[in-house]
Amino acid sequence: MSDAPDGDDSGSSWRTQANRALARLVDASAAERILISLAALVLSVVIGAVIILVSGWVATCDSPFFALSGVGSFCYDPIAVYRVMLVGALWPPYNFAITLKETTLLLFTGLSVAVAFRAGMFNIGTQGQLVLGALGTAMAVLWVAPFVPASVVGGLLLIAVGLLAGALVGGVWGAIPGALKAYADANEVITTIMLNFVATGIAFTLVSEVFKDPNSQTVQTRSIPEFAQLQAVVFDSTVFSMFALVGALALVVGVYWMLNSTSFGYDLRTSGVQPEAAEYGGVDSKQMTVSSMTVSGALAGLGGAVYVLMVASRWQTGIPSLGFDGITVSILAGNNPLGVIPAGLLFGALKTGSLAIEFQLSVPKQLVGVLRGLIILFIAMPEFFRMVGSRFRFGDESPAVATDGGSERADETTDVIPGADDGGDEQ
Amino acid sequence: MSYVESDRKRRWLAGTAVLAVVALFAVELFFPESPVSELVRIVDANYVRSVLRLAVPIAFAALGGIFAEKSGVINIGLEGLLIISAFTSIAVAGTIGGADPTQLHLWVGFVAAVLASVLFALLFAVVCIEFKADQIIAGLAVWLIALGLAPFASKVIWGQVNSPPVATLGSFDFGFIEVSPPVVMMLVSVPAAWYVLNRTAFGRWIEASGENPKALDTVGVDVRKVRYSGVLLSGFFSGLGGAGLALGRVGQFIGGGATMVNGRGWIGITAYLFGNYNPLGAFGASFLFASLDALQIRLQQLGYSIPSELIGIIPYVTVIVVLAFVGRTRIPDAAGDHYESGEE
Repeated sequence: MSDAPDGDDSGSSWRTQANRALARLVDASAAERILISLAALVLSVVIGAVIILVSGWVATCDSPFFALSGVGSFCYDPIAVYRVMLVGALWPPYNFAITLKETTLLLFTGLSVAVAFRAGMFNIGTQGQLVLGALGTAMAVLWVAPFVPASVVGGLLLIAVGLLAGALVGGVWGAIPGALKAYADANEVITTIMLNFVATGIAFTLVSEVFKDPNSQTVQTRSIPEFAQLQAVVFDSTVFSMFALVGALALVVGVYWMLNSTSFGYDLRTSGVQPEAAEYGGVDSKQMTVSSMTVSGALAGLGGAVYVLMVASRWQTGIPSLGFDGITVSILAGNNPLGVIPAGLLFGALKTGSLAIEFQLSVPKQLVGVLRGLIILFIAMPEFFRMVGSRFRFGDESPAVATDGGSERADETTDVIPGADDGGDEQ
Repeated sequence: MSYVESDRKRRWLAGTAVLAVVALFAVELFFPESPVSELVRIVDANYVRSVLRLAVPIAFAALGGIFAEKSGVINIGLEGLLIISAFTSIAVAGTIGGADPTQLHLWVGFVAAVLASVLFALLFAVVCIEFKADQIIAGLAVWLIALGLAPFASKVIWGQVNSPPVATLGSFDFGFIEVSPPVVMMLVSVPAAWYVLNRTAFGRWIEASGENPKALDTVGVDVRKVRYSGVLLSGFFSGLGGAGLALGRVGQFIGGGATMVNGRGWIGITAYLFGNYNPLGAFGASFLFASLDALQIRLQQLGYSIPSELIGIIPYVTVIVVLAFVGRTRIPDAAGDHYESGEE
């Protein structure tokens, strides 16, 4: 290896890879992207059904839904599982409130991942940014609470302080991998993952050693005052607030506007898709890397803030893996802020539904984790769907043929799965 | 930062580490009463044994990652492969051996785990090579699927995310040091991998497949086959690592949180980046990370009132510092690119 000392463009293959993924996702027409997301979803559901069948065959139960002599008995009925999952996400109203709660939180983490992705970076550290943001919020609110009146005004003040603290801490934590990438060329995929472990360790240590609730056996902070918690409206739920959902939706629109109508958003997108062009256009790409990771981290930190203000009312161990779900949400949404809304809703529903299947059918709720991975896997391979698409159109033509004649965007307007003649990738 | 400069930094870093160790032993020699000496005295045969055991999953993941990435496929799903094989080893050993599996049952579990990991790697290879998937996102998917699937299956089989404990593989006693079979496999695999990569035709193909696939194609070697072998080898090695972790040391599958693998696959990636794709260097880095881990465990046993979670982050912080310091490593030119042979 020592005989290959060529310098500057050498080590960025991971970056090229990210850029290509980005370009592919951004350049594909909206219709194609939606089709690919839907197809990935359908395929995941089908494979999920197979997994349910197999696991039902492995599991033992009193009354299998289906038994075949010689093969064995199957405990879980995939159709029933999906039905319970769907119904359980919407009904009774309490469950729907839980779905909206999950959706609200996923809007933040999904947006966080999407913003970084738009700037050409994989932020896998959303989880850590969220965990520390949540701690920042809890600490700030607990610290300021004695100085404000216990009223609506005081509550609003505390909520503002909490959101600010969450965004600030998350932003700083997100800026670290951004700076490492910009100034030391450390790969952000690895550093953000590592920083997740570090964040969890730091937060746990801080709470268990310094800020622990003295009246509690578990590692958690004291509870924030009730008037500082986001109040429920519409649904009489202790863990969901309509205010948070509306705020999150407004944030989605705000981020969309920022990306598409401000010069910061323009610089961010160009430095993501075409770093050289951005540099030529006078954008300091290093600074841009840090800024976009800071914004991404701040969004994740806001998610942590809302988690504390709306759901947990304190920092405690075992914060759910909202950050990793955010990756799925963003990829499913094609990294489009507006797409984060349906993707977040879908994933919120899946998570609530997974509780229902465990409760009603004793199918482990971790199933949704498997589906999450499958969805990402299928979205990673749009080429697969193009090949399938071309096979369906041209019966016997080999789907692997790369003609390279068709332009990648030739059939933007077709409403079936595109890809009749663009099986080849551009090298 | 140029490659030469980063190489110099790497050497400088290694030199500093050696100097630090020498300094520590000097303190031990001249000031036996100082607290530093207590630290140094941690280092004994037991400590080395513990470090070797802790290095198993990291070093194997690193070896696998080298073969995949050198052949041109970036496999960041190593963590997932470790999880899959750790789970499979315990599940199979427990299923055929019941509550008290014999050594034979454990070995069957071990082999099954390696097979499972290779199968998963095959899936990843097909997705990346045939369907030209984005390797980073697909690798992420492998990790997330494993992270969901293993606890899911644990619950189906055992009714909870953790398995009941089973036995561990019996160890070899070399007189001065007693080591488990996975450790021996690791100590054999590292030089073997180095030899294969640097002294055989297959090693040259792997190298060419990642650096200049067109040239390889021109001399008549099937780039696809070489890349498949690279990825399958990453599955094979990760399988050894995951099963070695579960059956060689822990004797149980733990599926809560980040599972028992707990980021070792990611540390493995950093180990081979730090070792600059050289199996020997990667092993050195794995050894370094594992010794930090062992130090952390030992400090807790000595009753230092440092919270374990805080010491637990030391390896991760080290990884970040190392990455920031060594920075860019020389990744194979065509890694991450899809290769179209132009035939057919």
